[in-house]
Amino acid sequence: MKTVEDIFSALEERFGAKREMLDKWGMTVIVSANYLHNAAQFLKCESDIKFEMLVDIAGIDYLTYPNHEGPRFAVSYSFKSMSNAGARFRLKVLVSEDNLSVPTISDLYANANWYEREVWDQFGIKFAGHPDLRRLLNHVEFVGHPLRKDYPAQKRQWLSTNDYLLPELEQRLEVLGYKVIKRSKEVETNDNEFLEGSIKA
Amino acid sequence: MIVLDPNGEKLNLMPLNVGPSHPATHGCLRFLAAMDGETIVASVEEIGYLHRGFEKMVERGTWQQVVPYTDRLNYCSAIMNNIAYCRTVEKMFGVDIPERCKVLRVIVNELSRINDHFVCVAAAFQDLGGTTPFMYAFNPREEIMCIWEKLTGARLTNSFARIGGLYRDSYDGFEKDVLAALDSTEKALKDLHACLDRNRIFLDRTVGIGKISAEKAISYGWTGPCLRASGVASDLRKDEPYYDYETYDWEVVVGTQGDCNDRLQVRLAEIEESVKIVRQALKRLAPGPVDIVDPRIRVPAHKLAYQDMEGLIGRFKSVYEGIRVPEGEFYCGTECANGELGFTIVSDGSGHPYRIKVRPPCLTQFAAFHELVEGGMLADSMAVLSGLNIIAGELDR
Repeated sequence: MKTVEDIFSALEERFGAKREMLDKWGMTVIVSANYLHNAAQFLKCESDIKFEMLVDIAGIDYLTYPNHEGPRFAVSYSFKSMSNAGARFRLKVLVSEDNLSVPTISDLYANANWYEREVWDQFGIKFAGHPDLRRLLNHVEFVGHPLRKDYPAQKRQWLSTNDYLLPELEQRLEVLGYKVIKRSKEVETNDNEFLEGSIKA
Repeated sequence: MIVLDPNGEKLNLMPLNVGPSHPATHGCLRFLAAMDGETIVASVEEIGYLHRGFEKMVERGTWQQVVPYTDRLNYCSAIMNNIAYCRTVEKMFGVDIPERCKVLRVIVNELSRINDHFVCVAAAFQDLGGTTPFMYAFNPREEIMCIWEKLTGARLTNSFARIGGLYRDSYDGFEKDVLAALDSTEKALKDLHACLDRNRIFLDRTVGIGKISAEKAISYGWTGPCLRASGVASDLRKDEPYYDYETYDWEVVVGTQGDCNDRLQVRLAEIEESVKIVRQALKRLAPGPVDIVDPRIRVPAHKLAYQDMEGLIGRFKSVYEGIRVPEGEFYCGTECANGELGFTIVSDGSGHPYRIKVRPPCLTQFAAFHELVEGGMLADSMAVLSGLNIIAGELDR
């Protein structure tokens, strides 16, 4: 019977992964961003315990963490095995401020699409290769990334209009094999016209 | 907009906005659909209308002060969220809660599950135009709500669990009230099945609607009753047992089709299983303490604080500075009414949470919404939406 320790040794051998000692209760492994996609693929398809489900992606900002050394941000991926019920695994990628980019795994796990959008929204970490990296929870007009430790919690922003969504709808139609030949006239409005009737105008 | 479909045929599609404030969207959800007549060709969703910054707010308080915020995640079964959060922190402390607390938590957990499932099925039926089952389902729900009032002092946002115990022990006559609520739950289940099972209109509206395969559901990270409706017997109460769930006699309910009807029927069948668990748990409910005795985790009782200096210090310390959770990072998921509610917790060893990330079960289910409704009718999208039981409170946090 294989255990998550064996999976960790395999990851260590293949991708130079390191055990995250902060997780004293479960198994968390740090991989470099370059190997993230391969490591996720390995966990999903090749390892002895297959982790078919991506449970969560969480961004972490270590700016005010006491005695923290190393890159400011981290993205943590939680996986769960369906074939081997009860087995869990976490991958962690450290992200430094000068290169805020992590490869996407949305091609492997369908729900990574929204989770990665959320991390982008809240922390400003980009996911290279993501099909549609927009904000998820915050408003389109929102400026900044609120879950960063240097974003003041009481700060207010003036938001005036709703999300447009028509370009995204066209994009979805293209994915489904449709071809847009004449766009809706609302798509090409100029800003003034768009804001007319809203609070700002 | 004018488009060419995959066969090269010209179509005139109408973009139609649904939500965010719509009677059938249960909270604030919005989707934009490209309509061909009454058929949805493509759909994109937008969420965030109820985003209150849960994760930012909790960083400013102490660990115990997170509990009322968790009420506002899935407000149909608030106590379950409290317990899920407290369980995660207790695991980080490495403490074991007393037996009576475990059994009480199982009871309130399962009663909350019954409540949540009743709301979901009742609202789903209401959205399809049937008002009778709504009343059948809300009668026992009201009885459980009355139990909450007596037990916690609140109906909706209870904040009943505490790290290392419960807000207070059960009241006199609790068992009798629970048994009465279980009886009316069983009666309501009979009535609901009589309304639903052979109802031609209901079956036409839900059977084969919003189907999803097991592989796709897993890839989208579905959990809970929605995943089980697709035929995957995955339940954390069995897979990673806690509070002795494995010692109770109950079954994991599994559907076959993964359609809208299965998702509702699985919920009704789960109510039956919950009733079974609560009945067994009531027999195990023996007198004893509900809180752990450790002033570093659970505040000492009022009685101690008034008579004992250590107790007074313990109360001051845990109220002013907060309890100190061991430094580290941890993810722990708990089976809630909608699926796996997980908390990724980062602690720096101080009295305030450094970071708490919530993994809401609804988010993954709503992320697959476009796949469920595309190709169906607009009216079907409402049946699908209510079958998924999207709770905007936990979806948007």
